[in-house]
Amino acid sequence: MKKLLIAAAAALFALSSAASAQTIRIGTEGAYAPWNFVNDSGQLAGLDIDVMNELCKRAGLECTVIQTAWDTIIPNLNAGNYDVIAAGMSITDERRQSIDFTADYSPPEASAFMMQGGTTIDFNNIKGLRIGTQGGTIQSAYAEENLADGNTLISFDTADAALADLSAGNIDVILADHSYIMETVAGSGGALKNDGPRIPIGDGVGAGVRKADTELRDKLDTALAAAKADGTIDGLIKKWFPERGEGPFYPH
Amino acid sequence: MGDDIAFWWGYLTNGKHLSWYASVHYTLIAALLGGTCALFFGLGGAGLRRSRFAPFRLIGAGYINMVRGIPDVLFFLFFPLAFEQLVELIISQSACPPDVVATNAGTWPPCTAANWFLSSTEYLILAGVSLGIVYGAFTANVIAGAMNAVPMGQLEAGRAFGLTERQVFWRIHVRQMWVYALPGLSNCWLLLIKSTSLLSLLQIVDIVRWADRLGAPNFSRAAGLVHGDWRWGYYLALLLFFILLTFLSEKAFAALTRWAGKGMTLGSAAG
Repeated sequence: MKKLLIAAAAALFALSSAASAQTIRIGTEGAYAPWNFVNDSGQLAGLDIDVMNELCKRAGLECTVIQTAWDTIIPNLNAGNYDVIAAGMSITDERRQSIDFTADYSPPEASAFMMQGGTTIDFNNIKGLRIGTQGGTIQSAYAEENLADGNTLISFDTADAALADLSAGNIDVILADHSYIMETVAGSGGALKNDGPRIPIGDGVGAGVRKADTELRDKLDTALAAAKADGTIDGLIKKWFPERGEGPFYPH
Repeated sequence: MGDDIAFWWGYLTNGKHLSWYASVHYTLIAALLGGTCALFFGLGGAGLRRSRFAPFRLIGAGYINMVRGIPDVLFFLFFPLAFEQLVELIISQSACPPDVVATNAGTWPPCTAANWFLSSTEYLILAGVSLGIVYGAFTANVIAGAMNAVPMGQLEAGRAFGLTERQVFWRIHVRQMWVYALPGLSNCWLLLIKSTSLLSLLQIVDIVRWADRLGAPNFSRAAGLVHGDWRWGYYLALLLFFILLTFLSEKAFAALTRWAGKGMTLGSAAG
């Protein structure tokens, strides 16, 4: 029985590696609108997806996007389950130790706080708060380092889960990307608001690749530089993030 | 009113919701595959448990007692991962050049060529087998007990009629065993169905994961209808779905029990 299973698994393995030899697999979380999410028709959509489709087209690569969990997104890239991470991932030195990034396709932006509409929080003295972040994000690392003292930090698997707990009053604030917060606040019709300082962390959002895949990274970088220069990337940012203003985000 | 109905109809039949309904197939396949595996592991385990050969008895008893005690969540996480790495280890023996393995020391897999990409299909198969191993242990216990419950007189009567040992075993012992085993097996089956809600642990976007996603508050206009926390509604739908599955299973087991009890006079279970 066991031998049979191993043989079956080996056959599956052979099949799946043969089929995937030419296509570039792109891993995304699919739960962080408007960066990447499943749209009403059940397809993956968002800025990450649009940018990658554009880059693949320009670089002549055949790409397919697959959905994966955020907390293991880097190990799974290094294990070879997909070839590129496009998940609104900020470029940081810590992540650079395990993977490589393309240039940024969304410029550096601050992180910000979000809370329920009616609440007031004294941001000069952040104490006694229940602060929610998504685990493994730059915001959760920042909170661990700077806000752990006197507050309760709560890490969520997904941004949705954090939002659900904020709506239910289980946490006081969420710390997340400014762009995500502004879109969410704008859509909430007053149920949520943004307040407090903007915290500049992260070097912009880029696509992650394995360190060994320099050829793929260069191809993507070349395509990205061209897409930035002719304003395509600016157009996509404006499409998905109307709250980020008119730009220009990249000189063109 | 008409507009409301049109709106809700449109919302509940959009692509996201259709994907949710379609993801039921993961649950059903996992349950059926798990159930089939559990039955095989159960028959095998019971056979070993009742074997005349002492080492087999020990293996059977070890399987039944150990696996029953392991939380199914833990086994669900352990087995697919261990199996994946075992396959990768075997493949790496031939696929990885030694120098690459040396530079990759401490990372897994040893080289990218040995990486086994598991899609939902592979995970689903592994999930079904995991469920089969876990619930096979319960099934084995039920079947072993049911084998013991068949009255000795029935077997002796079979021998007195001149049936061979093999005939006595299959036509009398196993055939009558089902009557005693079915109530216990129906329990195992319902527990197994409940455990299919763990599929999302294996990165399978099943009905539970979809319910989570669809019900989560959405304030992004780009991502579709803006709404608050609707998870309770989606979880409620799942509760009703599982109650329906239970109801249908009970019906099926009642029919099986009627079949198993055909021509047997003992017990009211024969109905």
